[in-house]
Amino acid sequence: MRRTAVAASVLALCAALTATGCSSSNNSTSKKSGGTFTAILTHIDPKAPINPYNQTTNSFRGYNAMMLGWSKNTATDATQFYPAIAKSWDLASGGTKLTVHIQPNAKWSDGKPVTADDLKLSAAVAYAEGGSAFAAIPGTAGGTVDVKVIDDKTVEFDQNSTKPLNTWFSNVMTMYVLPAHIWSTQVPSDIWDTIHTALTGSAAEAKTAQDTITALGKKLISWGPDKDVSAGPFTLSRVTTSEALLTKNANFFDADKIAPSQVVIKNYQDNSSIVNLLLNGQIDGSVYVAVSESQLDKILAVKGNQVVSGASPVQASLAFNESKKPFDNVHVRRGIAYLIDRAQVTKIGESSSGKASPYPSGLTATQIQGWGVDTSSLNAYSVDATKAASEFQQAGMTQSGGKWMLADGTPFTVPIQTTSDFNDWTSGASNVVAQLKAAGVDATMTASSDYTTYLADLAAGKFTVSWWLTALGPSPYNIFQRLYGSANGWKLGAGGGVAHSAPGQGGNWMGEAESSDITGLGTVNPGELTNQLSQVSADQQKQIVAKLAKFTNDQVPAIAMWDYVNQNFINTNHFTKFPPNDSDVLRQPQGVWMQLGFIQAK
Amino acid sequence: MRKLPLRLAGHLVRALVMIWVVATFTFFLIRQMPGDPVAAQYEQLVQQGMSPDGARNATQLTYGFMPTGSTWSQYTHYLWRLLHFDLGRSTQTLGVSASSEVLTGAKWTIGLVLAGILLSFAIGAVLGVIAATRRSSGTGDALTITGSLFHAIPQFVMALVLITVFTVIWPVFPTDGNVDILVDPGFNGPYIASLVSHATLPALAYALSMFGSYLLTMKSSVISVLGDDFVLAAELRGLTRGIRFRYIARNALLPLFTIFALTIGFMFGGAVFIEKAFNYPGMGVTLVNSIGHRDYSTMNATFLLITAAVIVANILADLLYTAIDPRVRRGGTAGA
Repeated sequence: MRRTAVAASVLALCAALTATGCSSSNNSTSKKSGGTFTAILTHIDPKAPINPYNQTTNSFRGYNAMMLGWSKNTATDATQFYPAIAKSWDLASGGTKLTVHIQPNAKWSDGKPVTADDLKLSAAVAYAEGGSAFAAIPGTAGGTVDVKVIDDKTVEFDQNSTKPLNTWFSNVMTMYVLPAHIWSTQVPSDIWDTIHTALTGSAAEAKTAQDTITALGKKLISWGPDKDVSAGPFTLSRVTTSEALLTKNANFFDADKIAPSQVVIKNYQDNSSIVNLLLNGQIDGSVYVAVSESQLDKILAVKGNQVVSGASPVQASLAFNESKKPFDNVHVRRGIAYLIDRAQVTKIGESSSGKASPYPSGLTATQIQGWGVDTSSLNAYSVDATKAASEFQQAGMTQSGGKWMLADGTPFTVPIQTTSDFNDWTSGASNVVAQLKAAGVDATMTASSDYTTYLADLAAGKFTVSWWLTALGPSPYNIFQRLYGSANGWKLGAGGGVAHSAPGQGGNWMGEAESSDITGLGTVNPGELTNQLSQVSADQQKQIVAKLAKFTNDQVPAIAMWDYVNQNFINTNHFTKFPPNDSDVLRQPQGVWMQLGFIQAK
Repeated sequence: MRKLPLRLAGHLVRALVMIWVVATFTFFLIRQMPGDPVAAQYEQLVQQGMSPDGARNATQLTYGFMPTGSTWSQYTHYLWRLLHFDLGRSTQTLGVSASSEVLTGAKWTIGLVLAGILLSFAIGAVLGVIAATRRSSGTGDALTITGSLFHAIPQFVMALVLITVFTVIWPVFPTDGNVDILVDPGFNGPYIASLVSHATLPALAYALSMFGSYLLTMKSSVISVLGDDFVLAAELRGLTRGIRFRYIARNALLPLFTIFALTIGFMFGGAVFIEKAFNYPGMGVTLVNSIGHRDYSTMNATFLLITAAVIVANILADLLYTAIDPRVRRGGTAGA
């Protein structure tokens, strides 16, 4: 009897606790004005430092991690930025001198003002952590050689004037701004002497200084303050193993624009975890997530769920390893391109967030339009079995019993590699195999166990035809680096020039020849041209982009299948005034949207 | 029978040897895995919009945390650090100790799986007794079939069914995570309630997929004990049903106890599918993420913890079995 009473009491207590827990989200913490904005962003680790440079961090860009500016990610102009910590800036002396004016009201969450000293220390940390524009190696093309405090709110950044790059400006603008009064405890007071020695000292002195900076970088990467001190719209309050809670920073210079009183950032394991949350209407704003059409319909059927989409500078292509015969023959590559219906592949592989690439040119449709590339000179490689046959015959291939054979009589086979981690690639590859087989070309598909293994084997040149993300803009240099960069043997030297490695060496798995003769263009070294993109003016860039697009279209080192669509899911039950479709903020985190006046409480 | 300290010493020596063997085996096995974690990080940064040169610079730091030198020198260095309880640094969260990464996840797994094990044990044992005592009736058959059916259902299927029923169709439980971050942490009602509500479905998934084996084992064990002479003697002596039940249960529980003890040992590595399905950040998820990122230190630390837990559980099972079964203490055989 007594045992029964005890058991009943325990069960009753558990029921009461569970009932309270199920409704625990309605406690006083969440009833503050402005509401709670729930986002899903990245992998959350409570042990991660509040350090934006760590691969896993509790410093979330746009929320409690600020840069000098927010890139507009314009298709043709990588220098377009929204103000962030920098209210305004002047780029002078041929792009080698950048003067930044700090927001006059910018303050850290502890009340201290953001000053030029913060920027100078942030630059020092960037040297140690490997920031794009901050390399402690003398003569680095596009490297920052000095940072000067002009006054309390003005800082001047100087680029290496003998080897300037036009990417330097955007690389400086994307420097993280850190509080000097917090980080100075970890950075030696003579760090700038060390940096100057590394950049201008004798060989021995520079080496010692570089080793000191490298050791500092290793120490700093795992460090973060115990308590978050942020100049952004939010500060980190607490982190669990699955979520991070950020509360509004009253000292943010544009606090009036920020509607939510707090933000919950949920852990991101994989697409299925995001889809589950979307189906429950629990996400106010998500990162890009690829879903099937049926999943999209179910997500949009949930009250408040909507999708905001825009162009994405990411393209999925099938790339050739030209060190493997017969794929070193341009006629073979062209012939394969003529046999693949890219619209069908896109429909199967990426139906809801992809559009078939119109021209295999290394550029997305938006980039082609933005750069004004003359499409009349480009070949769309529309499905044409006759043209494919003509190309194969020029490569010495013959048809026997409906199957294409190589010149030596062996069957022509196209082995395509994909990875189990990406369903769209696997589905797309299956469709490509089916199309090729229907056209008389033997094709196979194999999947690597995961993306990490896939990349390692890809770099080792083990695959013949494999998926490769191309057109990774917005910078044209970044775009064509994917095809004519290290993956194809061209490596940027510290002095700004490029050197080409033979196929199979130096990470060259695409195996392209160093130069080729193209009708109408002459002899083209695409790696050199790509490198020039980081050094020339906008008008010259346009000419080079057109040249490289035509070269890519002619030589077909990769067949672009689809351009990804940047698909963001939002929920309008609690918040409104989200950015419209095709807005230039869509590739930034929602914290940046809030800073720009979007996302208001209902 | 040997004295306890001597037996314990013997167990510890064997345990240390086994841990060294497993640590060595996993060390070399993990390093055979293909994949370059730095290349994966580089690709991720480039896809996020960083310039190729910027991504290259950013990933340079990762090299500083990756082991260098010959495999043999890495191994000796690893053993030396192991002796000082230093399990290395993570390359996924650069610089953070692998042991803290693993222990952060382990504490959530322990709570979840322990709750699931206890629940499945309790349900399985009770239903097993009923199935055995009513084995000739429809009730017994129904319980046996139910136990077999649930035992056959994979954990991730069970998890997906519970997610669909209790978070989509009838949304009474949270969909993911381990606690509501909006609740102030501490020893207070809302926080404890949040912990319980978030753990309920994952623990239930674990329990429902495990109780079948306990049920069937208990049923078999009870049927075996029911045929023993002492049970007949108890009936003939006129002992009450309740006392006879206690006699039967205590003897029938012995095989279950062994399974229970071993299951406790495997609990660290036993909830991967459930944790992934519920996005419950335990050690299983830590292990899967470390494998995907080729975080060798965290992988080694995780396997080491699982190994140590299984070994300790075996030792405890062996020692406790002696304590609960007088026949073993007196040098006889269990079940004689």
